[in-house]
Amino acid sequence: MDAKRESEPSPMKNRTTVEQRSERELVVTRTFDAPARLVFEAWTKPELLKRWWVPKSSGMTMLSCETDVRVGGTYRFVFRLPGAPEPMAFFGRYLEVVPGARLVWTNEEAGEGGPVTTATFEEKAGKTVVAVSELHASKESLEAARTSGAEAGASEAYEQLDELLVTQR
Amino acid sequence: MTLTGMKKHVGVLEHAGLVVTQKVGRVRTCRLGPRRLDEVTTWLEQYRQLWEARFDALDEVVEELKRRETFNGRQKRK
Repeated sequence: MDAKRESEPSPMKNRTTVEQRSERELVVTRTFDAPARLVFEAWTKPELLKRWWVPKSSGMTMLSCETDVRVGGTYRFVFRLPGAPEPMAFFGRYLEVVPGARLVWTNEEAGEGGPVTTATFEEKAGKTVVAVSELHASKESLEAARTSGAEAGASEAYEQLDELLVTQR
Repeated sequence: MTLTGMKKHVGVLEHAGLVVTQKVGRVRTCRLGPRRLDEVTTWLEQYRQLWEARFDALDEVVEELKRRETFNGRQKRK
């Protein structure tokens, strides 16, 4: 059997890679064929953000999306999960805002000490490399997110996989 | 899950090197493939897939912004 050995499951036009950079940090990267200011705009305007943050394939729907993009400003996203009786809210504060270059925010829905997310937008020849780092307070915090995510996310991931299969074939 | 759905799932897992399958008569057997299939790898892959789906959608939004900008640029030059 000639099984493929690459780390990515399938060839995609623009590859999304994930790397565990340390025992408390995960980094996702992707290149967009657009200037950084446009990617940043899509990341910060609520009417644009709500169109992609919760992809249709996740089965979730975004009920509301509020962003006050400035240092100390807050954001609040409310989702409905398939099969969940109550909507779930995700919220936090922006710690750093550098238009077209960098956005740092806290994730406080699980209480204080949640992970801090840093998105960087690096433009090279009209394309933008986006890196999203999720830095947990401790190794244990990342481990806890992984454990709960693995349980809660399993069925959701299969639904996404279903959707990806439909789009790839 | 339907049989067709299951076939697709297995196909993707096989493509990713997570399982190897062998068909004998009407029965297709799966065993673990060369890729390390532990909880961490699986979770990281789920994490990657969430972001990939998200970024695919972001790509569409960004492309639309690009088109809008080109259009507006043309309008201004007129």
